Amino acid sequence: MNILDIRNLTIELDTSAGPVKVIDKLSLQLAEGEIHTLVGESGSGKSLLAKAILGFINPRWKITADRLWWRHYDLLGLNPAQRRIVTGRDMAMIFQNPGSYLDPNHTIGEQLSEAIPSGELKGFYLRRRTDRKVRAERLLHRVGIKQAKEIMQRYPYEISEGLAQKISIAMAIAHSPKLLIADEPTTAMEPSTRAQIYRLLGKLSASQGMSILMITQDLTTMIPNSQRTSLVYCGQLMESGTTEQILNKPSHPYTQAMLEMSLLDQSVAPKSRLPTLSGAIPTLQNLPIGCRLGPRCPRARRACIQTPPTTRKKQHSFACHFPLSEDE
Amino acid sequence: MTKLLEVEQLSKSYRHKTGLFSGTKIVALEPLSFSLERGETLAIMGETGSGKSTIARLIAGAEKPSGGEIRLNGKPLQATDYAERCRNIRMIFQDSLRSLNPQITVGKQLKEAVRFNTNWDAATQQQHVVETLRKVGLLPDHYHFYPHMLSSGQQQRVCIARAIVLAPQIIVADEAFVSLDPSIRAQIINLILDLQQDMGISFIFVSHSTEIVKHVADKILIMHRGKMIEFGPTQVLVNHPKETYTRHLLQTGTL
Repeated sequence: MNILDIRNLTIELDTSAGPVKVIDKLSLQLAEGEIHTLVGESGSGKSLLAKAILGFINPRWKITADRLWWRHYDLLGLNPAQRRIVTGRDMAMIFQNPGSYLDPNHTIGEQLSEAIPSGELKGFYLRRRTDRKVRAERLLHRVGIKQAKEIMQRYPYEISEGLAQKISIAMAIAHSPKLLIADEPTTAMEPSTRAQIYRLLGKLSASQGMSILMITQDLTTMIPNSQRTSLVYCGQLMESGTTEQILNKPSHPYTQAMLEMSLLDQSVAPKSRLPTLSGAIPTLQNLPIGCRLGPRCPRARRACIQTPPTTRKKQHSFACHFPLSEDE
Repeated sequence: MTKLLEVEQLSKSYRHKTGLFSGTKIVALEPLSFSLERGETLAIMGETGSGKSTIARLIAGAEKPSGGEIRLNGKPLQATDYAERCRNIRMIFQDSLRSLNPQITVGKQLKEAVRFNTNWDAATQQQHVVETLRKVGLLPDHYHFYPHMLSSGQQQRVCIARAIVLAPQIIVADEAFVSLDPSIRAQIINLILDLQQDMGISFIFVSHSTEIVKHVADKILIMHRGKMIEFGPTQVLVNHPKETYTRHLLQTGTL
């Protein structure tokens, strides 16, 4: 059962050169308890997608979609007040550089207790206050912080980046959301810290049935037990499928190139030249027509100036005129 | 034949002042020795605070060592010998945009390095800069661009151009690939491999990406809490690591 259902989402920005489709007909489905990895290079609109789901919307953006449903709510049909209630109850987000968005003026304990929804606390003032503290401690235990009492007294500058990310996860899960959007949560983190954060997210998803939309830049920094993976490039969905399919049997040239470039393939000889996409990522003002990968794609032909239709096969979908065939 | 770079018993410690006369000594780097041949690539791996950046900064001359010696072609390098270092050892930084001067054009920044280190006339300098730009895959037109007008990949190319403009023997790259997109990163790695082949430059990488290190490095040096844990050829360290720490770092990328 899909709890998040996005069909043909388009986001248009007004620039001096006229409207630009930053996200172009993007479809994404997320099932309950699933970890979905969204891979995209910079400028692919992946953070914009997260904002569109959460409703952090700039009034100048024009958002249209055939479907943008969260469970049985049509998110685009709700008024801002209703949407705020739904989003606040069911969704949460964590960001990159966690140390920089914790409030430097307050201790971790103060910030964490603020995140606990007041509606769930019962009794008189003193009772509520102690309850809040106890719950904050319990949250820290749940994200794997053992010296909870000690950490609560500290200020953000006194803790490491990995710890800060754990605390931001604790704040995000304080109201037990159904969907957690993680926007590059481990960029510029050490491999060991990254592994810890991923293990924690995997455990939370398994134990609480929480869906996670994991946004990353690179296939190497993918969460190990993610079930599905989608690749976006310049706002267009390139390929989407189960993680196994994407890693082992890619259909889209972009997926293939990303796999080769990430050096996940052991067959590349050391010190040999890497296969890569030529050129640079186009800027918003100069997006190519048709398939946006076109100018950089090794398999591009004349037909690529038309936007390719999306081919769907069971769980797997890709948008390419000349996909890599299965025997290749 | 002497080795290109020899590091012997190099160490670094800081004094943390706690009072007028009192203070505690913080050891950032315990004495370590290694060497590097011409045209080789050395990768330094480790966690934050393991002293890997300290090694890079000591070799590049950004900091003075507390003890030990660095020898270039058998000749000891003094900490104050800026002219010599500047010509032979160049550095590339993590954030390319922030390491370029936003107020002057790309060409002028490259020309500065040439002007202070050679006695060529203006025309030769200009020609040399244009040639260098071409070597890193940029156009002569980029001479007149300001850094912010370039994409992140091109900015990184300018940084590489600035490093190779004096035809150095060693380039030190401190986490130079972290902030790049995968496709751009692959291009930059290719460029570095090509330059190494054409010009015979030695590279010292500081990195925590296992995949890249395995691909480009001839030798790996593993650091942990200011100590050198293991040093050896990539193949040996990947296939037969002596320490469990090395095995964790190289094979699974996790600890």
